[in-house]
Amino acid sequence: MNLGRVPAPARRGRVRVAAAVIAAAGAAALLAACSSGTSVGGKNNAADPGSKYGFKTAAQSAASQITVWVDSTRLPAAQAYNKAHPNSQVKIVSYDGNANGSNSFKTKFSLFDRAGSGWPDVVFTTDNNSASWGSLDGTGDLAPVNKGLVPQSTLNGFAKGSLDVCTLNGVTYCLRNDLAQNVLWYNKKLMDQWGYQVPTTWEQYEQLADKVAQQHPGYIVGSAGDAWAPEIYMWGAECPANDVTGPKTIKVDTSDPNCVKAAKMLDSLIANKTMSTLSLFGPEFAKQQGSKVLMLPGPDWYGGSVFQGTLKTPKGQIAVAPALHWADQNPPVTGDVGGGAWWISSHSKNLKAAEDFATWVTTNNAYQADLAPGYPAYTAAAKGWLAKQQSSGYWANDIAAPILAAAGQVWSGWGSAAFSQESIWAKVVQAGMAQGKTIESLLPAWQTEIENEAKVLGYTVSK
Amino acid sequence: MTALATRESSAPTPQVPTSTSGSRRTAGSRRPRAGHFFVLPYVVLLALFGVIPVVYSIYLAFTKAGGGFAGFSNFTRSARDYRFVPAIEHVAMYVAIWLVALIVLVVLLALVVHRLVSGKAKAVVRFAYYIPGALAGASSVLLLLFVLDPTVSPVAMILRWTGNEHFTDVITPHHLPVIFAIIAFWTGAGGWILVLYGALNTIPAEVMEAAKVDGAGPVRTALNIQLPMIRKWVSYMVILSLAAGTQLFVEPELVSQASFGIVPNDYSVNQLAYQFAFTQNDFNGSAAISIDLLVVALLCAGLFVARGKLFETD
Amino acid sequence: MTVLAAPRRTSSSGSSAVTVKKATSRGFVFVLLVLFALFFLVPIVWLLLSSTKSATALNSQNPYSFGSLHDLRRNWDALWSFQDGAVKTWMKNSVLYAGLALVITLAVSVPAGYALAKMQFAGRRFLLITTLIVMLMPTASLVLPTFLEINYAHLVNTPLSVVLPYSFFPFGVYLTYIYFSTAVPADLLAAAKIDGCGELRTFWSIALPLASPVVALVGFFSFVQNWNNFFLPYVMLPGSGQYPMQVGLTQMLASTPTFNPVVGANAAVSPPELVLATLVSIAPVLVVFLLAQRYLVTGLTAGGTKE
Repeated sequence: MNLGRVPAPARRGRVRVAAAVIAAAGAAALLAACSSGTSVGGKNNAADPGSKYGFKTAAQSAASQITVWVDSTRLPAAQAYNKAHPNSQVKIVSYDGNANGSNSFKTKFSLFDRAGSGWPDVVFTTDNNSASWGSLDGTGDLAPVNKGLVPQSTLNGFAKGSLDVCTLNGVTYCLRNDLAQNVLWYNKKLMDQWGYQVPTTWEQYEQLADKVAQQHPGYIVGSAGDAWAPEIYMWGAECPANDVTGPKTIKVDTSDPNCVKAAKMLDSLIANKTMSTLSLFGPEFAKQQGSKVLMLPGPDWYGGSVFQGTLKTPKGQIAVAPALHWADQNPPVTGDVGGGAWWISSHSKNLKAAEDFATWVTTNNAYQADLAPGYPAYTAAAKGWLAKQQSSGYWANDIAAPILAAAGQVWSGWGSAAFSQESIWAKVVQAGMAQGKTIESLLPAWQTEIENEAKVLGYTVSK
Repeated sequence: MTALATRESSAPTPQVPTSTSGSRRTAGSRRPRAGHFFVLPYVVLLALFGVIPVVYSIYLAFTKAGGGFAGFSNFTRSARDYRFVPAIEHVAMYVAIWLVALIVLVVLLALVVHRLVSGKAKAVVRFAYYIPGALAGASSVLLLLFVLDPTVSPVAMILRWTGNEHFTDVITPHHLPVIFAIIAFWTGAGGWILVLYGALNTIPAEVMEAAKVDGAGPVRTALNIQLPMIRKWVSYMVILSLAAGTQLFVEPELVSQASFGIVPNDYSVNQLAYQFAFTQNDFNGSAAISIDLLVVALLCAGLFVARGKLFETD
Repeated sequence: MTVLAAPRRTSSSGSSAVTVKKATSRGFVFVLLVLFALFFLVPIVWLLLSSTKSATALNSQNPYSFGSLHDLRRNWDALWSFQDGAVKTWMKNSVLYAGLALVITLAVSVPAGYALAKMQFAGRRFLLITTLIVMLMPTASLVLPTFLEINYAHLVNTPLSVVLPYSFFPFGVYLTYIYFSTAVPADLLAAAKIDGCGELRTFWSIALPLASPVVALVGFFSFVQNWNNFFLPYVMLPGSGQYPMQVGLTQMLASTPTFNPVVGANAAVSPPELVLATLVSIAPVLVVFLLAQRYLVTGLTAGGTKE
């Protein structure tokens, strides 16, 4: 660009540039004024004990149609609702369900918040930590359900502890769709054939693994190749790596003996090759270890997704045993990997209809017991679901008892934070494992990353 | 151009009379010229979807979440984030590898394809080289999951030969800049080869003939005649590729999804800006990071605009 | 711009040395082109073959093996029945958005590039600089303000909310600008003006026909960029009935057990089906490429200027 002397017309040109920039700045300022400006730590204190539902609602209109967001798996649920309610049909919109770390729910709602409009009425997510950002202490987008919106009797019908993930300061924000409590899956045919006894504690499990390593090398007793491994092994060991104590406070201590003993167990099983480090749903696992699964501690959805789905294990081989626990645990606890939830928007103009929909899809047997792929969080529906699964004849034993028992054993000390524990584990521990490090040696790095992520999202971290 | 300008103003063109004098011959006249009408629709779109968003981002970068003036605090806060410096290192390494490979190879391939005799062969090669460019986003995640896994990959031999037995071996941190560079080249080269091919086509045939008659071989023709004549195009490519490189986003995002999180989703600076906005709800910090990237891109662009004489007309 | 060197007689070197030199350089060219063809095409070939396999075959069979027509049929049927024919809706939406934006983009960008290159008017340089700055801005930061603007105009949830931003294509304006400023000589246009053509006539009858390569290029790139755009429609459009194919693909991705293990069997998308979806989504782009390629080969025809 040749910047020589500036002749008169160019000076006028410069004035015009300045004018244009000022005009643009004015338009941008108008834009800023139009946006409601909710952003970091928006103090939208909408709690209102005087209101019917315990929070400040938008103007209600009993006839307005509600919009529900579902993922493709839950689409039949919404369609079933419409079929059963021809006079109050809901508008169904399908989206990715917040799966695969997409964060769609939060992203879209933060845009709607800024624009001041556009929120749907009910949203389904395959994860359940939305209360960490959407509660009345956060953006205020989520409607409290236990302050008058949903009858307490309905809320009591959910499995014990299942609503804890979306409860902050005593206020509950979701209706849990399904539970994913951990149990012990095993191949009964092989266990009987080799004369092994099904372990009940992690200590017994480790001893059995040593035997398997010597007598039947190549077979695996568990998998630590996915990002949810801490939700199986660490959660079940009562490791305080995710102790959410308040809306913005968390306690993290990965050097706790509980974490260390779980890490040591994993390391020794990885070393004797009975613990797989491949992702269960990746191509390599199916190809090389798919037919060599002896045991697999994991959530109740492993049955459908892993054995029937990915591995296509023949029927009559797979059975379920009660969840493993550490010998010194009293009462015994287990972990939980996932479990979806339904959220009602606090901006809804027809909360009654929203509540009706959310309650129907979570409690109704016609969907939850017969069609749902996962263990329903609503206890009555869960019994129906278990019966239906058993009647398929695929399982080698009675799967209802251990799964039902484990539903009440999920440890409450592992909370639901605004950041993803899974992505932290993948980023730090799995990446370190790939370079040959032991999990025990990675515990400090895991601690550091949890602290960093928590602080970035506004949490106060303590030990 | 002055002669042309004189002729323009003497020909009957639509003129809106204004009160200002302003010589009709000088380029800075305020009276709307025909040129203004030609660019008007574009200017409207530019204002709506270009200028206002940029100014709004600048506004966000210098204000606080609640609305007050923030000075440089958004910039310092985002720069002090624990992921910021590693992200810069990642991007620097990536750009160093990728940009050089892209420029050199794209120019080379465009020249070579242009030299082919058979028109059919040229068309086939251009098409073949372009196909990966049609893939974008979600389409590629599954592809990457399989191609980068030595147990199922079509290029398993190459992966094993470089010492990788498992998927997790392939995506170790020090491989990542190379992997992203290869992916970005794979999807991006075809389009630029097309552009440079079109550019080479604009060189008049007589010039090429004259060079041939002079006895210049392909290399001399390329270096002394073709490249200088497509200088503007090449500098345009360098500017945009530099910006695209520093704004690396798609490739690490795809590999992050394909690796189920082992490659983090805050690998690059642009990804960090995205995380700030949509995970941390910190639009101000995000805007600050975007302005950082813009400034870097502008500095490099300025350099190449000057060297490539991009803004000069005949 | 044209450089005409005086023709000189070349000295004849040993003809055999010349042919050897020619052969090695041809060999080099051939090897280079083939190597790169392999580089670009091997993953595409893998995609084609994978769409003919079942999920288990994808993991266990050789990557270069053909699956079976039966599996291809099954994947095809599964694809079109996903979510009651959502893929058909998505493809239609993509065609609508990208097609509409293509027309508007060409109508807006080509005259603008021409004016920037060939006409003098106040603010020309300012426009070029501003366009460059906007092009260099990271797009993630432009989404929120664009969303607010569209929301302000009550256009959210309509096709215009994506078509209008799509039509803003500075990359194309610059391509047109560079083309007109390097490949269309000023004398040509001056000749037209001498003949009495106004600005519009000159552009429409003289410059535009000569610009068919760049119009094809800009049209093609605009179509591809808009066809492949994910984030803008994801933000602007409310639900899957309006999504273009790119956003729909991410929804399919989120229904693939490989990436989302808890998806139920009734909604699960198998990896080969996802591969087929990918192939279906890039087919229109490749078709448009083949159409545009015909115009690309025409260079600047000489002889338009009367010397």
